[in-house]
Amino acid sequence: MRYLRVVLLVFAKDFREEIRRKENIASSLLFAFLSLVLFAFALDPTQVDLNTTGSGLLWLIILFAGSLFMGASFRKEMEGGTLQALLLSPVDRSAIYLGKFLVNLAFLLLLEALLLVFAFLLLDFRTGAVLVPLALCWLAVTVGYAALGTLFSALIAHVHGGQVIYPILLFPVLIPLVIAAATLTQDALAGRPVLGSQWLRLVALFDTLFVTASVFLFEYAVEE
Amino acid sequence: MNLRNWTRALWALAVALNGAALYMVFFYAPVEMQMGAVQKIFYYHVPSAISGYVLMFLAFVFSVLYLWKDDPSYDVLAHATAEVAFLFITIVLITGPIWGRSAWGKWWVWEPRLTSALILWLMYSAYFLLRLFSRHEVRTARIAAVVAIIAFFDVPIVHMAITWWGSIVHPKKVVLEPAMRQTFFVSMAAVFALAGALTLTRWAVGRAEERRLAQEVSP
Repeated sequence: MRYLRVVLLVFAKDFREEIRRKENIASSLLFAFLSLVLFAFALDPTQVDLNTTGSGLLWLIILFAGSLFMGASFRKEMEGGTLQALLLSPVDRSAIYLGKFLVNLAFLLLLEALLLVFAFLLLDFRTGAVLVPLALCWLAVTVGYAALGTLFSALIAHVHGGQVIYPILLFPVLIPLVIAAATLTQDALAGRPVLGSQWLRLVALFDTLFVTASVFLFEYAVEE
Repeated sequence: MNLRNWTRALWALAVALNGAALYMVFFYAPVEMQMGAVQKIFYYHVPSAISGYVLMFLAFVFSVLYLWKDDPSYDVLAHATAEVAFLFITIVLITGPIWGRSAWGKWWVWEPRLTSALILWLMYSAYFLLRLFSRHEVRTARIAAVVAIIAFFDVPIVHMAITWWGSIVHPKKVVLEPAMRQTFFVSMAAVFALAGALTLTRWAVGRAEERRLAQEVSP
């Protein structure tokens, strides 16, 4: 019970901080929006139909903009000198990890929702009919992404030049998720059943494995 | 016999075996009917892949031991095995396309095993980049160990995803004629000896670095 309270406290603290500071959320969301606009120019929207091919490209935006946001989740504590205080507090460290993980998850889901809206408005990306299965798939993929994104963010918090290596470190590990996300999105749009498909099971395996591993390994990642 | 002499002995064995293997590859083993001389890459490609994966597994084991026992000598071992593993995966990625050019007609195909090796190579590149960036950081060893463990757990999932996603597959079972099989066994022993010798030498370098660092800290 106390453990859960700590998780929620860390979540609430970070959530409030992000809302008040705005810079992190604003820059990541704007970057995502900008990428979408750039895609329109790179793809020629009169030729390419996102509904049949290339919907996996949306996942590139989520990957890049998401890593921009998550990469800062421990660095900002370092810069503010508050990481020590956070780690010294007499609570289970994995609770700190889970709190941060929830903030990142919430942000990624917000990013994805906005991206779907703008992809609909600008690129005629129609997901209305399959919104529920698509949302479930994206949620499943996002859990694994946020789990590793948060752990790696803690890893590079102390490293000089950590922002540079963060995506290079994170993306190769995420490749199975990216393939699954692109395929699931494609399948959902084509009206094929996605719930219970082998890809969703792969994502579930990924999520279970890496949420568990991250909770255990976080302790070592931040230990003094 | 101390470790230094063992290392020397292994190097001598590696040189001798590689000489024998190269001789057998070029003069003893017959030329394969369909692929021609290029098929001879196989004798170094496959053993390199096996060596790379075994060393990678060892790097994972040493990373776990480091986090568990908190003994820096395991970090030195993890770093050494990872580095030699990286070398052999690189060899696989170079020899694979050369062979693939004649077998598939293209330098690169998005084939499951080749793609998995490439992703692994990317993960390990990031691992060494991390060590490079955080050279002066006390936590480096711990950060690197966590990354190595995550990468190891990711390998089977990567392989599963890539297999479903790709289409062209490596032959599941290769039937070799006797002369080819003998050559293959010798080249396997040669590459393993080379991998072992490189790892022991790299380990010695790592320990020497560690000793120098310790001297700098407490003169």
